[in-house]
Amino acid sequence: MENTATANKPINGPKAATRKKWLLYAALAAVLIIVPVVFQAATGLGFLVRILVVVGIWVLLALGLNIVVGYAGLLDLGYIAFYAMGAYAGVLLGQSVSDVLGGATYWAMLVPAAIAGAVTGLALGFPVLRLRGDYLAIVTLGFGEIVRICLNNNIFGLTNGANGLPQGSDQLIPPFGAIWLQDNVRFETPIGQFVFSQNLFWYFIVVALCIGAIIIIKRLDDSRLGRAWVAMRENEVAAAACGVNIMTQKLWAFSLGALSGGVAGITFAYVQQFISPESFTFMESVFVVCIIVLGGMGSIPGVIVGALLIRGIPDLIQGLAVAGVLKLPGEAISMITGYRFLVFGLLMVVMMAVRPQGFIPSSRRARELNPDDDGILADEDQSLWDLEHREQSSAHNP
Amino acid sequence: MTSKRRRFVALVSVVAALALVVTGCGAKTDGGSTDGGSTKATEVVIGIGAPLSDGAVALGQGMVRGTNLAVKQANESQELKDLGLTITTVEGDDKGDPTTGGNVATQFTSNPNLVGVMGHLNSGVTRVAVKIYNQGNVVQVSPANTAVDLTQMGMANYFRVCATDDVQGPAAADFAFKTAGKKVAFVVDDATVYGTGLADEWAKQFEANGGKVAGREKTTDKDTDFKALVTLIKSSGAEIVYYGGIYNSAALLSKQMKEGGVKVPLMGGDGIYDPEYIKLAGAANATGDYCSSIGLPIDMLPNGQDFQAAFEAAYPGEAIAAYDAYSYDAANTIIKAIVAVAKDMGADKLTTTDGKKAIIAAVAKTDFEGVSGQVSFDAKGDTNNKAITIYQVGADGKWAPAAK
Amino acid sequence: MSLSYLLEQTLNGITLGGLYALVALGYTLVYGILLMINFAHSELFMLGGYVGLGVLKLLSDPAVAEATGLGFLEPIQTFFLSGTFGFVMLIAVTFAVSAVVVGILGMFIERFAYRPLRHAPRLAPLISAIGVSIFLQNAVLLWIDSKQLPYTRADGSAFVQAQTAFNVGGVEVSTMQIFIIATSLILLALLDTFVSKTRIGRAMRATSQDREAAGLMGVDINSVIALAFFIGPALGAIAGVFNGMYYGSVKFNMGFIPGIKSFTAAVIGGIGNLRGAMLGGFLLGIVESLASGFVSNAYRDVIAFIVLILVLIFRPGGLLGEAVAEKV
Repeated sequence: MENTATANKPINGPKAATRKKWLLYAALAAVLIIVPVVFQAATGLGFLVRILVVVGIWVLLALGLNIVVGYAGLLDLGYIAFYAMGAYAGVLLGQSVSDVLGGATYWAMLVPAAIAGAVTGLALGFPVLRLRGDYLAIVTLGFGEIVRICLNNNIFGLTNGANGLPQGSDQLIPPFGAIWLQDNVRFETPIGQFVFSQNLFWYFIVVALCIGAIIIIKRLDDSRLGRAWVAMRENEVAAAACGVNIMTQKLWAFSLGALSGGVAGITFAYVQQFISPESFTFMESVFVVCIIVLGGMGSIPGVIVGALLIRGIPDLIQGLAVAGVLKLPGEAISMITGYRFLVFGLLMVVMMAVRPQGFIPSSRRARELNPDDDGILADEDQSLWDLEHREQSSAHNP
Repeated sequence: MTSKRRRFVALVSVVAALALVVTGCGAKTDGGSTDGGSTKATEVVIGIGAPLSDGAVALGQGMVRGTNLAVKQANESQELKDLGLTITTVEGDDKGDPTTGGNVATQFTSNPNLVGVMGHLNSGVTRVAVKIYNQGNVVQVSPANTAVDLTQMGMANYFRVCATDDVQGPAAADFAFKTAGKKVAFVVDDATVYGTGLADEWAKQFEANGGKVAGREKTTDKDTDFKALVTLIKSSGAEIVYYGGIYNSAALLSKQMKEGGVKVPLMGGDGIYDPEYIKLAGAANATGDYCSSIGLPIDMLPNGQDFQAAFEAAYPGEAIAAYDAYSYDAANTIIKAIVAVAKDMGADKLTTTDGKKAIIAAVAKTDFEGVSGQVSFDAKGDTNNKAITIYQVGADGKWAPAAK
Repeated sequence: MSLSYLLEQTLNGITLGGLYALVALGYTLVYGILLMINFAHSELFMLGGYVGLGVLKLLSDPAVAEATGLGFLEPIQTFFLSGTFGFVMLIAVTFAVSAVVVGILGMFIERFAYRPLRHAPRLAPLISAIGVSIFLQNAVLLWIDSKQLPYTRADGSAFVQAQTAFNVGGVEVSTMQIFIIATSLILLALLDTFVSKTRIGRAMRATSQDREAAGLMGVDINSVIALAFFIGPALGAIAGVFNGMYYGSVKFNMGFIPGIKSFTAAVIGGIGNLRGAMLGGFLLGIVESLASGFVSNAYRDVIAFIVLILVLIFRPGGLLGEAVAEKV
């Protein structure tokens, strides 16, 4: 989209384009605010706000992984590990300081959670990022499993194993204002009583985090770093030859993605008020990858729509059916849950064959994925690793 | 290019409009049922929170069966008709997943006519859901949560009709040490909430009795390879192996033990009290293995026969699963509280905040003869019914109460 | 801990390693030729277990003959259930059918999921393979059974009474363990000879070195790739049947962890290198078994994955180097 906008400017004049842009943003903002408020007010539909919160956290996760997969072209199959690190680090640290910080704990813990994610990303990335892409997929997968198993086995006596955190009667303190708003902002509307619930509060926090992430990512995309990522993704060897430090660029992408995962993790922990290893399985990692692949690698609108479709729609249909808005037999709901992954799997295969750029592609990425000339592609696909090791492995041979 | 923009704006507005329409419909249907409240029968809702499409679906379906049976009987009773009250149920599929469970709980509490929840199966789901019910003043009665610390969360609206790990584990340990005369044990669990909790309690009591725990290991609930573990057990000289977990892995452990020359019985909790256990392990390998289960065998209870007859009439051809009877009792707990409050305050007050709080208070005072035994709660919300039965696989390849 | 304990755990490890090695051969063969991780290979291993169970039930479970009402099954079952010859034939037929069926499925997957992507960037076939893997797992879950199925006849009797242990100097060895280790060694030897000595084998090596050049020299690239996608899954299926017989059950998600471990084994040995895959398999099996016997059963998977990361950091080409067998 940003490309088309720049292409437009000379034709429409900069003023008209800017005005349209602001109109668009205003419309989006109105929808983002009005829809959840209406849901919250309507009798029996307040739960939709919570579904939106969960979807929002997944948007944040997908935006983070999109930096790694979409921008830097590195397949990470253990992304959920950073999400878990953020959640556990934030909760453990938060519990030890919550007596002092009270309602500020969540805000304060955003920083250590982000750092926990980023540091884990760096620690894992440093040794393994020099490997070629498909090794990376397996190593990150293994790492995701390592993290989950360690959490599940109560490593160092910290994580409380499968029982999860917080333990017993401990509580995670909701951020400032959440309780006050819930207790004081309530009034009757024609469609039911409006209460400024904690879910609505979290909705606005999550939306703010997503918007923040989108702004940062867009700025990054236009920066030196973003251009280096494009170069690296398109042709690693040529980029290296032009002076792009491949390792540094990959580390940046990996740790920025991990950082975003950490922020999503701590937010998830505070929304749900409980975390346990079962929320951080390999299937969750696959979920995020599905969102990105189906939505469109490297495309921000694609990722958002992907998260809405994959994470939101099944829950939404089920919820509306239970609320009696949608009339569906019970078997239909079981079918949706049961066949969900089968369909995702099939979609991934079909998409790769017919539309590898995703439902809402980034225009740049689409051109890369459908090149005109195979020869160029073969060159582009070569990694530094191959070049460096070709010599070595032939040296091994007699 | 501008048309692209315009299309996007249009799309956004359509989404917004759609959301409003959906909301409008929802509000209308809800309004319709409450408007006529004063003249027609008052309708209150009990939510059933259970895994219905993912996770332990077989157990979840049993929870729905048990609850619906109790509600059907209640609606047919003269008592409810006199009060002008009908009870309906709504199913919330938690998929055994805490996040989905949180969605279900939010949905339940956003239904103004919902006054109680019968559920959930998984302790992790309850941990998330119970706080949401607490905020909405909705009572939760679980038929199946056995994690000890759930009633230590300080949630006044939470009750359960099943005995916890710290009742079941020690009872089984006492049996192993005193009745079966085993002095050395090897304790394994599957690193789940259920398995670890049970195995820890068992090991604690076994050692307190003077027994020796020769080894403590963890596997996962998906593992099938126990060869290395079996070799370790063999070298430990254990006389009994305790496995905290469900039947899948337990059966394979028992099978691989017997094949690997460890001819000692395996003991487990109610998670392995299932005919599938014997099928998977092979009858020859499973013979002599023990398990504990909560409550007394159904046919030894006074109300057991009636329940079985009613169940067969309502669900011909279906078998009673582990939690059908407990769900029946849990649902009856809520129904009896609803009736008590309706008599006290009037049926139309049930769905008010005061009414919901009164229901919680009434559940705390529950005392009736259920299918699983006497149903009553202590101050924390745990059941006072702490009967445990030990079963053993007999030579005929079936679970039967073990000889004392 | 005595010496016999150490030996027994090592033997457990070698048996497990034999299974890893068989699966790892499939990964390494495909990687050597196409430079792609066939992520769906673990699901083919799982399907091998299911097909084997089906064949065994059909050929030797009287309850199945009764339930299906297929009259012609009875004389066939009588043959397979009578005497040593019948038993050997039963085992041979089971392995053969399972290998062929899954091998053909492997070719099918290559044809429809991977071949269209042969000229796409490397990430595309990998994602497609993950899709196939998810699809196959859920297909079995939905259309066969979500439950764990026992690897026995309906009456609970084992198909192969080879678990009986005998004592060799204080170490318990079961015939099943010997069977698994011997089979995996023999199959590797056969495959190694096939690749290094035959004409088709030479074509495979040529394709793995330079696909285009091999094509220009008259090698039918598509057949070579299809062949790799037959042999690999067929070996995986054999491992799947062994896995069912040895551990006693099959389940739709049983392939995931062994699949990752087998890939680890292939990487440890040097991916693309057949002997390396074998060595890696046995090493990983032993490491895992000793880890679970001496350190902690709970962390066995963690230790296996740490080994993978360490090997990749310090010796990214694997212990035997990459693709020595192919790149002469």
